Amino acid sequence: MTALLLGALGLTLSLVVPGSLAAARWPARAPAAAVALWQSITLTGILCALGVVLAGPQELVEELGSGKPAGAAALVAALVVAALIIVRLLVSLAGVTYRSRTRRARHRLLVDLLDDAERHGELPAEVPEGLRVLDGPLPFAYCLPGRSPRVVLSGGALRVLDRAQVAAVIAHEQAHLRHRHDLVMESFTAFHRAVPRPLRSRVPLDAVHLLLEMVADDAARRRCGAAPLRSALAVLGDAVGPDGPRPGDSGSRDAARPGGPGSRDAAQPGGAGARRRGGPGEAGVRDPGGAEDGGGAGAERRQRIDRLDGPDPRSSMWTVAATLMAVGLLVLPTVIVVVPWLDRALSAWPL
Amino acid sequence: MALGDLEREVMQQLWDAGEPLTVRQVHDRLSRERDLAYTTVMTVLDRLAKKKVVTQQKTDRAYRYAPAQSREEMTAALMLDALSAAPDGVRDAALAHFVGRIDPSALTAAIEAARRGPAGS
Repeated sequence: MTALLLGALGLTLSLVVPGSLAAARWPARAPAAAVALWQSITLTGILCALGVVLAGPQELVEELGSGKPAGAAALVAALVVAALIIVRLLVSLAGVTYRSRTRRARHRLLVDLLDDAERHGELPAEVPEGLRVLDGPLPFAYCLPGRSPRVVLSGGALRVLDRAQVAAVIAHEQAHLRHRHDLVMESFTAFHRAVPRPLRSRVPLDAVHLLLEMVADDAARRRCGAAPLRSALAVLGDAVGPDGPRPGDSGSRDAARPGGPGSRDAAQPGGAGARRRGGPGEAGVRDPGGAEDGGGAGAERRQRIDRLDGPDPRSSMWTVAATLMAVGLLVLPTVIVVVPWLDRALSAWPL
Repeated sequence: MALGDLEREVMQQLWDAGEPLTVRQVHDRLSRERDLAYTTVMTVLDRLAKKKVVTQQKTDRAYRYAPAQSREEMTAALMLDALSAAPDGVRDAALAHFVGRIDPSALTAAIEAARRGPAGS
């Protein structure tokens, strides 16, 4: 019974809950706590799988003893699936971690060699450690997490942004680095890849990504104010990701793919983006990278810009509520396992 | 001076030279501005060769070093690595971008411009 209960909870958490949480509006008011809740949902799902593995065999014997082949078969299936999921998770986590470490190390080496910061007088007065400028007309900014992190701005970005905007972008990226958002994204990516392809959902991945951006936005807002961050988002967003469809983009994307780092998965059939097309373009259900990346990024950017309008949207009530939900959820599988045991133990207590 | 800065300056010398240089030649060029041990330059070149960003060729008695890619090629490769989407569409966890991904057609154009040479920036 315990195994089936845990299985039901796990299925609810992986099939039903993500959709409604991604569609909810309150996470924007407590992004950090909402990330914790997503983590709790994912982790609890995994704990449920583990619980099925652990509780399954004993119950299987009981079922076999009482001679109910259907129940036994269900438990065997649950056991096999759960064990598979755990092995896949570990393999996936190791793979994602290894790939991003090597890619970052190589990227860091090259960006250090190509750094052009000395030539740019328009940088803020106190240039933070680890800031690199990559020469090129395209305006963009990103950070390279890790033990020796970098914030990279392109020459193009420095040309289109003013000093206050540059400071806001740097503050945003530094918040990502300081809070190790890369580890959060890596764990969700690993989980995503561990799920068998037909069952995979991008919903948690995209929702968490947006929430982490909001967390970094909030940190940058505290340091530099909302206005420069908001205008930097608008300026850089217009430059890199025009909304709406673009002709022939998957072709040019394939042509542009290098033989360099990150291309080892390139053996997969093309058109992956197109296959997943068709999700509604609303909040949290954005489309995958690839064909409609600009659209997904555009929706994400609009939400972030809207959020920076007006007063600080964060609410301590929602933060507390989400945190309590996250903790409660994590405890639930343990309760499901412990309660029957406690029940039996108490009934055996000689009183 | 940090090792990273020295690596960058050595690379700059190799790119500016336009021909393979010996350790001695790199050392001479760098020592114009400051004191630098010959062995330090040798170590740096060796490290860069191990990281495959410079190539090492044996001519006569001395090793000559050349950049594996021109500065423009390396910039283009780096931009591509930073900005192109992961092949299976899963957002890559390795880097975090300020605003989403770049428009692929703009990216291709920019890469082409970078490959042709410094784009007036």
